[in-house]
Amino acid sequence: MRLEAQEISVRFGALAALASVSLDVQSGERRALIGPNGAGKTTLFNVIAGELRPAAGSVLLDGRDVTSLPTWRRARLSLGRTFQRSALFPRLSVGENLELAVRRGALVGRRRAVPERLEAAGLSAVAERPASSLGHGEQRALEIELALACEPRLLLLDEPMAGLSGAERQAALERLRNLPRSVTLVIVEHDIDAVFAIAERITVLDHGVKIADGTPAEVRADPRVQEVYLGRP
Amino acid sequence: MPAVLLAVLISLPFWTPSRYWVSVAIQALILAVFAMSLDLLLGFGGMPSFGHAAFYGMGAYACGKLFPQLTGAGLLAFLVAGMAAGVIAALPIGALAVRARGIYFLMLTLAFAQMVWGLAFQWTSFTGGTEGMSGIPQAVPDWLQEQGQNLWPALRTAGPFYVVALTVAVLAFAGLTAITRSPFGRALEGIRENEGRMRALGYPTYRYRLAAFVIAAAFAGLAGATTALYNGYANPSQLYWHTSGLVLIAVIVGGTRSLLGAVLGAFFVTIVQLVISSYTEHWQLLLGAVFIAVVLFLPGGFISLGRLGWLKR
Repeated sequence: MRLEAQEISVRFGALAALASVSLDVQSGERRALIGPNGAGKTTLFNVIAGELRPAAGSVLLDGRDVTSLPTWRRARLSLGRTFQRSALFPRLSVGENLELAVRRGALVGRRRAVPERLEAAGLSAVAERPASSLGHGEQRALEIELALACEPRLLLLDEPMAGLSGAERQAALERLRNLPRSVTLVIVEHDIDAVFAIAERITVLDHGVKIADGTPAEVRADPRVQEVYLGRP
Repeated sequence: MPAVLLAVLISLPFWTPSRYWVSVAIQALILAVFAMSLDLLLGFGGMPSFGHAAFYGMGAYACGKLFPQLTGAGLLAFLVAGMAAGVIAALPIGALAVRARGIYFLMLTLAFAQMVWGLAFQWTSFTGGTEGMSGIPQAVPDWLQEQGQNLWPALRTAGPFYVVALTVAVLAFAGLTAITRSPFGRALEGIRENEGRMRALGYPTYRYRLAAFVIAAAFAGLAGATTALYNGYANPSQLYWHTSGLVLIAVIVGGTRSLLGAVLGAFFVTIVQLVISSYTEHWQLLLGAVFIAVVLFLPGGFISLGRLGWLKR
């Protein structure tokens, strides 16, 4: 699914969280969105997903203007997302968590998909446990699987690797790299190695402004990016 | 556990020492239906309503207003009228109230319910004002009135309305159990746990919350209709915030997120209210003390004692 965010502006009081930021992600592309804390990455995700109405600009999914659609309608258009801080259903079991995800807002059917989702996320052994009892790594795996269980065609990943150990990081990276090309990925991540391992193009935000947009090699070579984010070599 | 409770209730007219205890049980069963309906909102939906009496009272007033027309139509017509009245009141109130969360939702439901109470209190020509409406028949079906005692001799002392109250409570329990275990009920719990995530998964959470509000109001209306039939009157106290508070206490003391907990809470509150009050005027003090103790030391309510017991085995 193609994602176009056109000249998005968001203000929080006097702060310009996003100043006319545009993003054009082709169908099937792997795009990374990087920048220091407070650059506006999560804010942009919230605008794309429908949680935040921008002061100006529009969001298009496959060319369709969805700016005025609520979050749940965009989700039903196959937009999935994960959250920076795990957004699980703490008192429900892991299986029940995934059951809500595979139903995708509908009230009928699709329950049979739960066991294979548990398997894919490596969570079969803890299916009956409440989500709140999982360790951090398992919670992150469930966080990603909740989004994948909806079979999105556009997936927004907000720091999926945050706080993971080396092995967990590798597993998560594998899971993302093995996603079919029918899924468009936009990933916000501070782990630069992961970013360069996945992304085909990188967009760099700083203080709500887009300062670079290009291939990993171009972005790595960009002097402004080096200055604000990557640090001088 | 539900089977044991049901056995106790069915056999109650046989071993109860007097008709008085049957009347206590009837009132407890009615409060149980009311409390289960609130638990759908509070326990499963995470919506703490402090105005649930509005729909209970609407159910009672519907019976009071319509009994000249409904008497010929029988018991079921009264109960359906009570549920319909709950739904009609809940649609506009819910449409506004479920936009708010937590304490704001609580205050809004309280405000709306007090408006309904104010209307009933002051619109004397339509509602009977302070007096309310009386003379509502029990509408016990003829076959139960005539044949019931032959089938179940204990009803000679207990009175046939006990069968009505028990049947309504059992059906409400079955209906609400089915709802809470359905995909709708599961989605409601998802919204309680994390509404933002539910939106991101494609659930129109506002509609789900409103649907839960309306369903809860329908069952509250059913309880209200049952109490109007049993007592023969509808009056503003059924709409007053005291009533909303009492049912809220019943659910919290019994245990939220469990329909059986709501039933236990309803029995406890009724016994304290009716039985203890005949020994001391300070029954509210006892109720308050138990409420505080439960909130502080047993947040899962009475029902969680049973769960602890299971764990120890």
